[in-house]
Amino acid sequence: MADDKTKTVEGEDRRGFLRSLGVGAVVGTAAIATGAVPAAAEEEPAKEGTGYRETEHVRTYYDLAKF
Amino acid sequence: MPSRPVLDVSEEEMARARLYNFIAALLSRPPTQLEIDVASALSGDSSLLGQALTRVATAARATSVDDAADAFQALFIGLGRGELLPYGSYYLTGFLQEKPLARLRSDLGRLGVVRDADVSEPEDHVASILEVMAGMIEGHFGPQLTLEAQKMFFNAHVASWMPHFFKDLEENRTSPFYAALGCVGARFLEVEEEAFRMI
Repeated sequence: MADDKTKTVEGEDRRGFLRSLGVGAVVGTAAIATGAVPAAAEEEPAKEGTGYRETEHVRTYYDLAKF
Repeated sequence: MPSRPVLDVSEEEMARARLYNFIAALLSRPPTQLEIDVASALSGDSSLLGQALTRVATAARATSVDDAADAFQALFIGLGRGELLPYGSYYLTGFLQEKPLARLRSDLGRLGVVRDADVSEPEDHVASILEVMAGMIEGHFGPQLTLEAQKMFFNAHVASWMPHFFKDLEENRTSPFYAALGCVGARFLEVEEEAFRMI
């Protein structure tokens, strides 16, 4: 429906919007000193597209630690 | 394994995924000490969502693992049932495992998402759906899904009921921590709804 140029502009609007409404607030506040985080070193197992696991502790910790 | 096409996922989009995962993690099981510590360390900006995140942090600092486990039990498990039933089907029809669950399963099937064999919860549990939203952004189900595809799924399976659930969670009198989390969920979905309108 929109051409590429319009889409780019919309993308920028969207990013600015997300940021201004607090979603951006979680960006860059990663520095949480949780030595307990089982280091991002613990690689997430490679998954194929069909895999869905309800609770992925490793990923969750990793993601939480990035706040 | 062939490399997946990677969309330009901006930091803001990845922040959405982290928020979805954060809320999902806290609604899927009682939190660990680590998760409480991480929640305690959050600090939001002055936006409504930011204030809600700050509120979660304040509540988390006053919560122990045992408190949170008791609250989780009372809210979501209970004797027979918890205070809240965090399932899409229940919110949409008043009954569990009704047509909305079938529609969700059909849409998940199209996305190539299947329930883990170890999981007995129906897929329309709030945490499952939030994890799917995160997975679509991060590309856990193959290629990252476009915002248009995310929007369709969001409108069908999130916006249709989850704001009501988060309102109920926010208004619970059992746990200030989960009430604050309900506030984060509610404010975040408002932002998401608005942002999806822009595309």
